[in-house]
Amino acid sequence: MMLDDGVHDEELRQAAQRLGAAAAERVDVERTAEAVLARLRAGDAPARSRIRWIQPAWLRAAAVVVLMIGVGTLLVHRFNPPTVSDRRAARAAGGEIGDMSSGQLQTVLAALDEPAEMPAVHAAEAGLEDLTESQLQSLLRTMEE
Amino acid sequence: MAPAEPALAPAEDAQLIAAWQAGDERAAAELVRRHARAVARFLVGAGAPDAELDDLVQETFIRAFRAVATFRSQCQFRTWLLTIGGNALKDLGRRLARRRVVPLDERLESKDGDPHERTVAGETEERLRRGLTRLPRMQREVFLLRAQQGLEYGEIAAALDTTPGAARVHYHHAVKRLKEWLK
Repeated sequence: MMLDDGVHDEELRQAAQRLGAAAAERVDVERTAEAVLARLRAGDAPARSRIRWIQPAWLRAAAVVVLMIGVGTLLVHRFNPPTVSDRRAARAAGGEIGDMSSGQLQTVLAALDEPAEMPAVHAAEAGLEDLTESQLQSLLRTMEE
Repeated sequence: MAPAEPALAPAEDAQLIAAWQAGDERAAAELVRRHARAVARFLVGAGAPDAELDDLVQETFIRAFRAVATFRSQCQFRTWLLTIGGNALKDLGRRLARRRVVPLDERLESKDGDPHERTVAGETEERLRRGLTRLPRMQREVFLLRAQQGLEYGEIAAALDTTPGAARVHYHHAVKRLKEWLK
């Protein structure tokens, strides 16, 4: 089997084949075989326990982080007191409505009802002659505004 | 190119593997005897420190024997062992990285061994050893499996879970870089 062309490739290949040869010769294969079997019989506790410990540890850490984020979010939403500006706005709205007369309140309520009725007076869907008087008045008010 | 240590016929290894799976420890010991030195040579080429070599060889066999049920003869048993050795070495590099703040290449590069032996081994070999630690892992392992272990691209590809064409490309990248560094 040839590697690449040229002397350099052959030198490289020979150097690669020499690489580690001396160290490999120093390996006592009988002792290595005995050690491997001994570690297999013993279950090689250190190596295996390390692997088994790391994985659940990461999972536990991730679960704790997720749990803390969830609990934190819940607490923030549940116990976060309304801000000063929120309270002022609520107070102002309540005050204005409380100052209105019953007639004014009825006008406001009527105005709030109007948007729901407006689609019925869409020009494309119905002619002006189909509108009731109140609908025509609403339409006029809208156009005058 | 003939490998320095000829690989045994797959059938013979397969018989030993089957015997080990049936509980025969002698079969496991025989597999260690057959392949331990090839594994050691590969690990040294891949940058294993001399002080860690014995333990890495043992670790390689222990991992292999434990996972032998997953070995499907997609490649030779020895080739499969070498890839397991590569993983064991990578894990060692990670462990060392957590202990000391020095570049990975320096950690994997052995500073041990007999200085006289190193001198005799030749400058090219030493520079090759240093150059290999600078290569990406895939290129390094493809180069070693090809140039040191004498494997075909198809066998290398099966072991490293890639294609023969990709293995060829990795090999040529490795050779090109190593030649530059060895000039």
